[in-house]
Amino acid sequence: MQLICISRGTYAGGKELAEKLAVKLGYACLSREEVTDAAARAGIPVGRLEMSIVRHRPLNEQLAVDKERFAAFITARLAEGALEGGMVYHGRTGHLVLPTIDNVLRIRAIQDAETRINRTMVRLGLSREKARKYINEVDEDRSRWARMVYNVDCEDPSLYDMVVNFDHMSVDNTAVALVSLAGLPEFQQTPASRRELKNLMCAAQCRLAIGDDPRTRHIDAKVKAEGSKITVTYPPRHQSAAAPIPEILTSVRDVSEVTCTMAATNILWVQERYNAEGTTLPELLEIAEKWNAAVTLVRLIATDEAEPATDKAARKGEGADDAFPLSSTEDDGGILDDEEAEEAGDDGGMDATMDLLIRHGRAGGRTTVTGSPQALIRSLDRTLQVSLVVIGDVFLSRSDSLRKRQTRELTAYVGESLRVPVIATEELKAQYLFGASQWLKLAGLLCMTGLMFGLVMTHQEQATTFMMKEGLHHRVLSVVLLVLFVPTFAYFWGQSASYLLRLVKFE
Amino acid sequence: MPPGFIDLDLLTAAQIVLLGFIGGVLSGFIGSGGAFFMTPGMMNLGVAGPFAVGTNITHKFGKAIIGSKKHGELGHVDKKLAIFMLLTAAIGIRLAVWIMGKLFEPAGGHGGGHGAGANLYISTVFVVVLAVVSATMLRDIIRSSKTADAKPSRKIVELLTRLRLPPVIHFPVADVRVSLWIVLICGLATGYLAGTIGVGGFIGVPAMIYIFGVPAQVAAGSELFLAVFMGAFGAMNYGFEGLVDIRLVLLLYCGSLVGVHIGAYGTKVVKEVIIRLVTACIIALCVLSRAIAIPVYLRQLGYLQYNPAYDEYFNAASKGLLYASGITGMFIILFFVFKAYFQRRRVRASVVTGVRKTPATAS
Repeated sequence: MQLICISRGTYAGGKELAEKLAVKLGYACLSREEVTDAAARAGIPVGRLEMSIVRHRPLNEQLAVDKERFAAFITARLAEGALEGGMVYHGRTGHLVLPTIDNVLRIRAIQDAETRINRTMVRLGLSREKARKYINEVDEDRSRWARMVYNVDCEDPSLYDMVVNFDHMSVDNTAVALVSLAGLPEFQQTPASRRELKNLMCAAQCRLAIGDDPRTRHIDAKVKAEGSKITVTYPPRHQSAAAPIPEILTSVRDVSEVTCTMAATNILWVQERYNAEGTTLPELLEIAEKWNAAVTLVRLIATDEAEPATDKAARKGEGADDAFPLSSTEDDGGILDDEEAEEAGDDGGMDATMDLLIRHGRAGGRTTVTGSPQALIRSLDRTLQVSLVVIGDVFLSRSDSLRKRQTRELTAYVGESLRVPVIATEELKAQYLFGASQWLKLAGLLCMTGLMFGLVMTHQEQATTFMMKEGLHHRVLSVVLLVLFVPTFAYFWGQSASYLLRLVKFE
Repeated sequence: MPPGFIDLDLLTAAQIVLLGFIGGVLSGFIGSGGAFFMTPGMMNLGVAGPFAVGTNITHKFGKAIIGSKKHGELGHVDKKLAIFMLLTAAIGIRLAVWIMGKLFEPAGGHGGGHGAGANLYISTVFVVVLAVVSATMLRDIIRSSKTADAKPSRKIVELLTRLRLPPVIHFPVADVRVSLWIVLICGLATGYLAGTIGVGGFIGVPAMIYIFGVPAQVAAGSELFLAVFMGAFGAMNYGFEGLVDIRLVLLLYCGSLVGVHIGAYGTKVVKEVIIRLVTACIIALCVLSRAIAIPVYLRQLGYLQYNPAYDEYFNAASKGLLYASGITGMFIILFFVFKAYFQRRRVRASVVTGVRKTPATAS
């Protein structure tokens, strides 16, 4: 049982391939058009969404919510198909729907522009120029859709496992090759990936339930699921309307616990093992309260996944001392080891930490990621508004120096990928809270500000005369002093003001 | 006090700090430099136009360093784009300073004859440019309320993409490809306006969004980065001409660097449509305020004949309207900011109770 996603352009042959592959594997075949029709029947205005994107317009508040509903709808359908006997999906962005599931086989079907133009001319009865324009426009719409709904560039080849060109291979032969490819261990479900699929399906079903209820249809809710525990976050402006959410979610299958958190933004806390009694949690809670943010726990159990899968298999013979040895293709019976299984029963302190966050009304959900920093980034919802990422102790199995270097690299990588501030847990106090050292800095900054201000204001006549004095030497000197004095004063007073406002929790 | 520099008593100093604070709140709230309020505000306090512009551009220079550093940390600065624009922005600033110097000289040097020619020139450019900006913003708000959509049009971007005037340069952070000639022309216009009225951002940011197709956040960050160099260059030029009053720069900072934090807080708690509406209305009132002062300069230059005693009324009306618009805008923003600030504390308690439901019924 598995999921194969074929991403196709206009008349690039992807549909034909998907249908043949589904027949050969005995899987269900689902097209984007079928999902879109079903979503429209379920009351999601997909047509309006598409029109907004085609017209290059951002979504208004309601359409942004409908976009989330549609993403949840498609996620639920695909996850369900993958869990119930396998599915081949073909559409513009199927490969983006389940980004955290590594075992999905993601194929990009392409064809020479000339062939596509000819096919479009025949099928739609268009002139050559119009057919070319039509294809370009549809491809552009597809890219915009991916950016708008999933916040990624769908043309990025690293998002696919394989690109097939129908100018070089026939659809039949490609289908045969893909049947073999689909049998590789990398594309088989594992207990961990099934768990993750169930989580995604449950979260999507909960999101749909919230969107289907007229009382909560307009709420911009983000839903996460871990097992039967659901976390819903919603912005403060929807506070009064969000009250029925727990009641609505009682109707969703497998839900045993619902945590609702009102938050304007999110703080991601990445750590390998959490300690609810430690100093980080109170500091994070204080910042979360100031910012009206929810704290999302992201447990990173690091493995050496950055290397290619072939290297992993090759490493098998020499990997006696590896923390997470991987099986080779030949002797694993078609199923790769479930790396997460080793961690079964150990929640890394997440439960206790989550309980404290819930008690303070700051819980934003939890996720466990096993793998590399790249897997961490893939696991994050790119549409989630994140204001800060805090990185604690990770790579615990490594030596001290290696851990420090890898943590530094992880910090830089996450910052570059998410484009939000990323700091270490030990920097929290200095950066966002107010302690003794901040008092000291504030006093120093205020002294410098007062000194510079006083100097000018008590010597106004001299200062203005100096600024005006004729003569090239004087003019140059006054300019140099001006460009040095002004930013220095701005820095001292700007920092002082920032500290003063932080002191009164005005951030 | 040397000619051109105003006497600074406590009341005037307090008014300058207030101008800085209001400008800072507006600047943090709407993302521009706040010069559209501070420049005419200083002129209404008796500061000659070129001094007001020189002082303001120097003030913006220091502030832009801090702002662009923050944007840079978030990856919102396309340095390559900013540097290309800077090439001609520097020429634009130099041109603006040269024109200003020429207009200021015949009036008798620093402050002589009230610098009416320079004041008229600054006020006219101010009124024309900001009237267009304000009208465009209001039109966008009305259109978005009708269609429930709000997005800068990409028609110009698409037109220029089709034209493909070589050489076309790729800007990696903004992820756009733009003809070098278009970038240089926009840089020149941005520099000229920054040097003339101190509001280069009002041209630079929309140009990046509407003409280059740059994402809004990257446009704001890149413009601030550009403003560091334009501000430095402008400050050096005006400083060299002796047209910067350092006392006023420091007083403006006293208010603006506090206000900018409060304004920025407001953007997180106020709906975008309200932000744009408040901005458009404040700019429109600033334009009206400056337009009211124009007859005074026309009379001083001999183009208009009326009783000089009426100047006082024109100036009072101009000053009153400017303050009314700025203070009203500031109070509207502060109202939303403090409402959200205190509501945040009240609401928190209600969220904690009853957030957990155990167990739920399973169907």
